[in-house]
Amino acid sequence: MVGPEIHFENVKKRFDSVTAVEAFSATFKAGQTTALVGPSGCGKSTVLRLIAGLTGPDEGTVRLGSEVPAQVARRGALAVAFQDPSLLPWRTVRSNIALGAELARKPSDHVDTLIELVGLGGFADHRPAELSGGMRQRAAIARSLVSQPEILLLDEPFGAVDAITRRRLNTDLPPLWRDRGTTVALVTHSVEEAVLLSDRVLVLSDRPASVLADIATAPGVPRDSAYRASDTFRELSDRIFEALETGAVG
Amino acid sequence: MIWFVRVLGICLFLVAWEFAARGVPGSVLIAGPSEIAEHIQSEFALYTRAAFATSVNAGLGFVFGNLAAIVLAVIMIVVPKSARLLSAFALLLFCIPLIASGPILRVLFGPGEGPQITLAALAVYYTTLLALLVGLRAVSQNWTDFMAVYGRHPLSTLRYVRARASLPYLFVGLQISAPASFLGAMIGEFTGAERGLGVLTLRAMRGLETEATWALAIISASIAMMAYALLGLLGRRLVGYTPVILLSAPQGQPTQNLWMRVAEMAFIVGAVLAIWQISMDVSGLNRFFAKRPGDVFVFLAESENLATVLSALSETLGSALPGYLAGLGLGAALAAALILAPSLGQVALPVAVALRAVPIITTAPLLVLAFGRGIVGTTVVVAVMIFFPTLVACGQGLRQTPGQIVELFRSYGASKWQTLIKAQLPAMLPAFFASARMAVPAALLAVTTVEWLATGQGLGMLMAMTASTSNYNMLWSCVAVIALAASAIYACVAMIERRILRVYASEQLS
Repeated sequence: MVGPEIHFENVKKRFDSVTAVEAFSATFKAGQTTALVGPSGCGKSTVLRLIAGLTGPDEGTVRLGSEVPAQVARRGALAVAFQDPSLLPWRTVRSNIALGAELARKPSDHVDTLIELVGLGGFADHRPAELSGGMRQRAAIARSLVSQPEILLLDEPFGAVDAITRRRLNTDLPPLWRDRGTTVALVTHSVEEAVLLSDRVLVLSDRPASVLADIATAPGVPRDSAYRASDTFRELSDRIFEALETGAVG
Repeated sequence: MIWFVRVLGICLFLVAWEFAARGVPGSVLIAGPSEIAEHIQSEFALYTRAAFATSVNAGLGFVFGNLAAIVLAVIMIVVPKSARLLSAFALLLFCIPLIASGPILRVLFGPGEGPQITLAALAVYYTTLLALLVGLRAVSQNWTDFMAVYGRHPLSTLRYVRARASLPYLFVGLQISAPASFLGAMIGEFTGAERGLGVLTLRAMRGLETEATWALAIISASIAMMAYALLGLLGRRLVGYTPVILLSAPQGQPTQNLWMRVAEMAFIVGAVLAIWQISMDVSGLNRFFAKRPGDVFVFLAESENLATVLSALSETLGSALPGYLAGLGLGAALAAALILAPSLGQVALPVAVALRAVPIITTAPLLVLAFGRGIVGTTVVVAVMIFFPTLVACGQGLRQTPGQIVELFRSYGASKWQTLIKAQLPAMLPAFFASARMAVPAALLAVTTVEWLATGQGLGMLMAMTASTSNYNMLWSCVAVIALAASAIYACVAMIERRILRVYASEQLS
């Protein structure tokens, strides 16, 4: 089942004296991965929070298909993975992952399959304190996938792991949501990661965030090491950097 | 090896104690270990019965008080809007010294165990509430967001995350409150019970029976310490670790608008008066002893009564002040000294943490015996009551100085003394002021208890007297006045705290 389209129509959001997002209109296409890149503090996370219904817009509308975020959340069709894995220290890896299904009121019968898929086989009965940072992040991603969400929100999910681990997670994990037709919104600081993982990249301006550029990456090209080494990859990265710099000057 | 040294130390201490007692024959001050042991043996059956009665009451109060604290904390977390008001009520109730609520409860309950159990509950609820709230709130925003993403209510966060995450904090609260429940039960017994260690203590004090006073202080302190140790052990077994927390009401940022603040305070005062009036009316207690706010107001409107109460209040506050200052000052000074001599600190701090738990009131009779029934005795009791919690809190505060800052000072070759003055003392200030606030009710409890038991001065004496003269208007007025005074002093200390921390630790206030 393909996840719904996410649609922002002229959205404005203020926090006290700071306008995080203004006149923001954008579409996250159904079943695709859309990356959000932009200067730090530009309101990327606010966009994710608006999709999750954690905060509501002051003006304009946010629609997930034909529904508002709260409706989708109540159906247990949303899931999220943060930069911080946020695992419960007193639960084992298995029961931390199962929590995602439990909270979404979905069956948890494929927890063990997922544990294998994210490469944590043999660690199911360990507690988070016994795992490395990269393993914890794998567990957190598995927890976000276990409820088979229609919409997946990734807020810098690989931001806190070291470069080598990050590279490995970048190849291992994305197939888990790409193949399923989940609509994914990914916030990242890394332009390369955006080009590698997404179908489209939205380049955001400094606060208040608006869309500076909407760049389609290489459709249908497998995301492997050949892609990473290709000219297309480099050109796409350059275009994004260029857009970011224009925004910074403007 | 370390055990051998400890046992040897204890033996040497006992021998020295025995010699000191024998060296002063016929002393009313010191009873030697052998005399005390002999005394306990001869009165064994009596003391066992009394200890059992007190322990049962303390245990029941412990259970009820902690249940109340848990319910209150959960309400404050699930309905955050209620938190401000509820914590103001909880603090106000905490500000009324137990020795003041004791006689009132005795009048309301009549004879029996009611007041002891209620006082034990009152003695514990606040510590547990504070500790538990810290634990329940120690949950990152990621987790509350996470629950909301799955469309779950705050109750789910409570069930899945907060409940388990707060357990170590709950155990800290329970551990510290165990000796306190014992203290509450004993104060309840001071106000006129039939049996219990408090009753025997009162009798021993009045009869100047030195051995009995010592024996009772030792028995009650040991039981309280045992409860403390047991709960600590249980906590470590069940949840694994003991978090370091400052047991003090959080200093909330007051509403900026002055009128809002006045309105909020007026609302709280009004609500307290209304609860007082309504609870008396509903329970249908006899107006002869169950006085209402109006009765107190009319009573205090007469200048003669007002003068009596106010002069007693000034006597009480006057004798509390030196001990309050001494306890705070010495506690903070020793904490700083222990930082300069870290190896000494490793030995002294665990001892202080344990001694903080001793219900000092149980040893108050001894201190009064030793230092006399005048201002010196009172000052010592008040200071000792405040000293240990202050020492522990300030020690924790000092050790929380960011390590990088201390290393920065070292890299410039700064002396220990300079580091202490310029980096560590400012870092200690929040802990110091938290202790200073919490010490206000503690000091008033100590001073009124000493007045009640020994010195025959101030509000403590006034309340003790009215219990026998049946001047219930006076009793209720005393309690109302002392609650008001305690809250006012607490607010003053809090104001000074805000002024100073605004400069030294602005992040603590945001």
